[in-house]
Amino acid sequence: MATPQAAQTIRPQQDAEPLLDCSKLVRRFGSRTAVDGVSLDVAPGETYGLLGPNGAGKTTTIKIVCGLLEADSGTVRVAGLPVRAAPGPAKRLIGYVPQEVALYPDLTVRENLLFFGRLYRLPRRRLERRVEEVLELIDLTARGEDRVDSLSGGMRRRLNIGAGLVHSPTLLVLDEPTVGVDPQSRHAIMESVRRFGDQGMAVIYTTHYMEEAERLCDRVGIIDHGSLIAEGTPRELVALVAEKDQVQLVASGDLTRYAEACRALPEVEGADVDRSDEGTVHAVVRDARSLLPRLLDLAHANRVQIRSVEIVEPDLEAVFLHLTGTALRE
Amino acid sequence: MRILAVTRATVVRIARDRGALFFMVLLPVAIIVVIGVTVRGFDQFRVGVVAAADAGPVTRDLVTTLTDDPALRTHVYPDQSTARTALRRSETDAVVVVPATLDRQAAGPGTVTLPILVAPSATNAQAAVAAVESAVADHAGRVQAARFTVAETGGAFDSRLGLAARTAAATPSVSVTQRTVNGQSSYLPLGYSYSTPTMLVLFVFINAVSNGASIVQNRQSGVYSRALAAPVGAGTLVLGETLAYLSLALVQSALIVSVGALAFGVSWGAPAAALALVGVWALVGTGAGLLAGALFRTPEQVHSIGPAVGITLGMLGGCMWPLAIVPAWLRAAGHVVPQSWAVDSWTELLSRHGGLHAVLGYLVILTAYAAGLLLLATLALRRRLASVG
Ligand SMILES: Nc1ncnc2c1ncn2[C@@H]1O[C@H](COP(=O)(O)OP(=O)(O)OP(=O)(O)O)[C@@H](O)[C@H]1O
Ligand SMILES: [Mg+2]
Repeated sequence: MATPQAAQTIRPQQDAEPLLDCSKLVRRFGSRTAVDGVSLDVAPGETYGLLGPNGAGKTTTIKIVCGLLEADSGTVRVAGLPVRAAPGPAKRLIGYVPQEVALYPDLTVRENLLFFGRLYRLPRRRLERRVEEVLELIDLTARGEDRVDSLSGGMRRRLNIGAGLVHSPTLLVLDEPTVGVDPQSRHAIMESVRRFGDQGMAVIYTTHYMEEAERLCDRVGIIDHGSLIAEGTPRELVALVAEKDQVQLVASGDLTRYAEACRALPEVEGADVDRSDEGTVHAVVRDARSLLPRLLDLAHANRVQIRSVEIVEPDLEAVFLHLTGTALRE
Repeated sequence: MRILAVTRATVVRIARDRGALFFMVLLPVAIIVVIGVTVRGFDQFRVGVVAAADAGPVTRDLVTTLTDDPALRTHVYPDQSTARTALRRSETDAVVVVPATLDRQAAGPGTVTLPILVAPSATNAQAAVAAVESAVADHAGRVQAARFTVAETGGAFDSRLGLAARTAAATPSVSVTQRTVNGQSSYLPLGYSYSTPTMLVLFVFINAVSNGASIVQNRQSGVYSRALAAPVGAGTLVLGETLAYLSLALVQSALIVSVGALAFGVSWGAPAAALALVGVWALVGTGAGLLAGALFRTPEQVHSIGPAVGITLGMLGGCMWPLAIVPAWLRAAGHVVPQSWAVDSWTELLSRHGGLHAVLGYLVILTAYAAGLLLLATLALRRRLASVG
């Protein structure tokens, strides 16, 4: 996995007024609290990653930020403007890219961009110029006259992002822009997210891909069960587990039960099956070398065959295991 | 401008959909033609005629008179036994048997007798006979005129009969005036004048409802949700869609009205009243379309259930057959649906030549339907949009 990068020193202006300021957001659906007191802020030029498993409350938080959902309590301000009370001016600053591709399938690429631009009342000349720029940016200039339903999945994802950029937002809000995208498109999307940050746009971005967050984000907030459980630069977060070891066990058998048994050991901070890599159990432990024989015994007792053991440098995955005891799920 | 952006997107999408265009334009015209050709009226009597093929001018004039009479649907049978069979099978209400000697008798003195066969059970028989008698009286008038001319000025009877027929054609016909005064008031006129207004009512509604699929699609695809992240309220989206649906319904109506007037010779009655009616009906369709867009869950549901609902309402409302021919309770039930009021209005305009004041009551009722549907649809749609976030 990638190591925390040094880019953070170049961009964020963290001492500047935050562009996005969320304070104590709470949102319930019936008896379920989807967002439970989330406070975060994003500075101009900063890329902030909201990292969490399925159902953690990422999309709910994002929708509250964009004024699409009302919070039960808490406030959101964009450049000091309240999103809920007087939404117009605040919304003008936000570019929202929803988790699912939200476009007119039977309109062309260009028509879609024009449509979303018109919603922001861009004057015609400027709108047309911006549409060309955005087409260039998302590398779809050649497909401008094609209908969206004739595009590949990755192209649609790129256009989905482009539609949030036409009005030149100062805060770009992306909800899992790389989900379900092949590695090549994913790379392209991540590259453009990085460029937006370089251009001084503030970006808030949800994902459950650890390595993505580590590579792209100046700061990461880890959200689980609706609460932010940790926040900091990737480097700071990894430092939380600097004294710990991360163990990767490639094995076969009932791994879920095995991971559970591991978690019961006091020296084990967290353990879970890696869903993206079937047959691997990740564990964050104190002093891996002395614990290893007991982990192997436990495998034997649970009829799990261990094929290889590796002790690796802690990363955000380890941070998450350490903080929650379980893995991020895809 | 933001409202128009929404309108524009919807209009472009639907105009680009070949299937939708087929259902909006080609299908209605095709059905107007089929019904216009086949439905030759519910107020006509079916009359059979048996006449010698090589008969003279008087017989020919009589057969033409019967065939051309707008109150009669005339079928010429080759012989009496075929005609009797048709009568027995209720394929015709009455059969006029023209004596082979008619021409000879007509030229000479004395009374001419024209037998009309009816089935004892036929409910229409007496009325049919009366209609035939009025047509025959017409014909007899011309024969007498011809004989009078022959007696006064000489000349051949045949050519004098021709003269009488031409004179009669050039003279305003008494019987035609009577038909208008009595007014088949419960029915639209026949042929295309029947099929075009009824299909206008039927299809504008059905197509508007089917267009509701585009709203369902936008709800599903997240386009609305995303649009609401822009400085745009739900009201803007609803208004934009309303304008789109209204324009589509108006364009479709304009096409059907023009095709009816230009190709099928339909006269749409007082222009102001017809215009108001087209406009109000387009609004009724718009309301129904928006409501479909708000209520259905999937576009497929709209496409499968929408037209079925539209056709059912059309049947109840008198688009398929006149409500004047159905039992009173069904007629009353039919007036629950807006279609019936629209068809009634067109009947008033086309058959009774009423003006704006004659259909004002209907227009008020239809406006109430339109307002109710639009209100319901707006509320339902705004609720949906509030929860898309
Ligand atoms: N409209 C809703 N009605 C009821 N419950 C909801 C609604 N939206 C979200 N939830 C619940 O709130 C919780 C958080 O959902 P949310 O969509 O914010 O998660 P997420 O972090 O975006 O997950 P994912 O990674 O799967 O997108 C979940 O338990 C979800 O079931
Ligand atoms: Mg989500």
